[in-house]
Amino acid sequence: MGTGDFKISTFMYLLGAFVFVFVICQSAFFITKAWRQGKKIGISSKDMRNTVSSSILFTVAPAIAIVATVLTLANSLGIVLPWIRLSIIGNISYEVTAAESALNALGVAGGISQEVTDKTQFAAIMWVTSIGSCFPLILMPLILKKIQKKIGTVAKANAKWADLMAAAAFIGLISAFIARSIIGAGKEDIIGDGAGIVSVATLLFSIITMLILERLAEKFKLKWLEPFTMPLSMILAMGVAIILVQILPADIAILEWRG
Amino acid sequence: MEKTYFDKAHFWGRLWSLAALGMLMCIPACFCLYYNIWPAAVGVMKGLIAVIPMFWTIAIVEVISYSPMLGVGGMYISFVSGNISNLKLPCAIAAMENAKVRANTEEGEVITTIATATSAITTTLIIAAGVLVFSPIMPYLTDENSIFAPAFQQVLPALFGALGASYFAKHFKLTVLPILTGVIVLVFAPSMGAGTLIPITVIVSLIGAQVMFKKNVV
Repeated sequence: MGTGDFKISTFMYLLGAFVFVFVICQSAFFITKAWRQGKKIGISSKDMRNTVSSSILFTVAPAIAIVATVLTLANSLGIVLPWIRLSIIGNISYEVTAAESALNALGVAGGISQEVTDKTQFAAIMWVTSIGSCFPLILMPLILKKIQKKIGTVAKANAKWADLMAAAAFIGLISAFIARSIIGAGKEDIIGDGAGIVSVATLLFSIITMLILERLAEKFKLKWLEPFTMPLSMILAMGVAIILVQILPADIAILEWRG
Repeated sequence: MEKTYFDKAHFWGRLWSLAALGMLMCIPACFCLYYNIWPAAVGVMKGLIAVIPMFWTIAIVEVISYSPMLGVGGMYISFVSGNISNLKLPCAIAAMENAKVRANTEEGEVITTIATATSAITTTLIIAAGVLVFSPIMPYLTDENSIFAPAFQQVLPALFGALGASYFAKHFKLTVLPILTGVIVLVFAPSMGAGTLIPITVIVSLIGAQVMFKKNVV
């Protein structure tokens, strides 16, 4: 990884271990408290044990899918930072957006499609992802107790509006990236950065695969497939990019209409 | 008056949230101290200005809308460990169904807390194991001349295609306007980065959704 070694240094792994221990401790603390309370109010140990085992089963598949997204970010950010970021308030679309935004602000060509080798840029990404995602941790101690008392009724009455606004914000975010994949210009010296045959083909293939897999999972009631539809579509579409670059004539494969 | 379990859970949750906030900021701070490099504040601010309006708006909407389903402990755990809509929330709902308890009751609170905490531990363990297993082979996969290089260059179209597909299918009417806006903006400013484009498409999307909601189109 050349000059990028700091991304996978022992120090970074130590930071990762720190986050790992913190998340485990918090969860263990709450399980202990809830378990005691459960016994007190008469929930059987068997019911609580069942909750633990079914939750583990439920979680395994989506968690493996999260590992796949950690790997997709590892090219540019090394493997440790995506691991840290997706272990705490993690969410793939937030991380990608925040990292892209940080690099854009610093005027770095190519964004996260290129390996980040500069420590200062890397530090900027860490700050933007951390501060960008910290708001719930400020918000909850301030308002959660109040809203939990009131919200039950309000959310039920306006559930449709709340869902719609959350979806609209999310769609707005996705739209920016989709538009860039269709018609955005890249930097001149970087192949594959701007929109072109390969980016549009990857995008379309990913959308179509996702729709087909979701339909299959629903029609044949393939519960195990559901959590994998997204990572699978993503990985298959990335596979299509590899194949296209191999089989298309070189000048077509690197064609980017806006430069 | 004796404190209820909910009161106590809020107290613990607040402490853990503040600790998590400290830890979250500690990570970049430790990195900067250790390597003795500090990025220009202006650059970081510019990066933040692009994402904060959307991230923080989503945070408000999420805290409010998940709150009735996740309960007290479940909320504090989920917002620290993340991956809520694709993991913690369905896990908590499934656990309540299995145990035949309702949300917003003390029984529901106990079950959702156990379910989300178990899920958080499992996820953390699996991600850590995955990182340790895969990190030795990463350099071979991602080298510039590797056959896999084009795949990593197309991460964004692949990711947002898959992520968008189910939203587009479910909310097609909400989708047309923001994508069209993004495309039109890029026709005139082709090099505009995602960071600048996102606030534009998000705001257009929110306004569009609000108008359609008022007119009963969605």
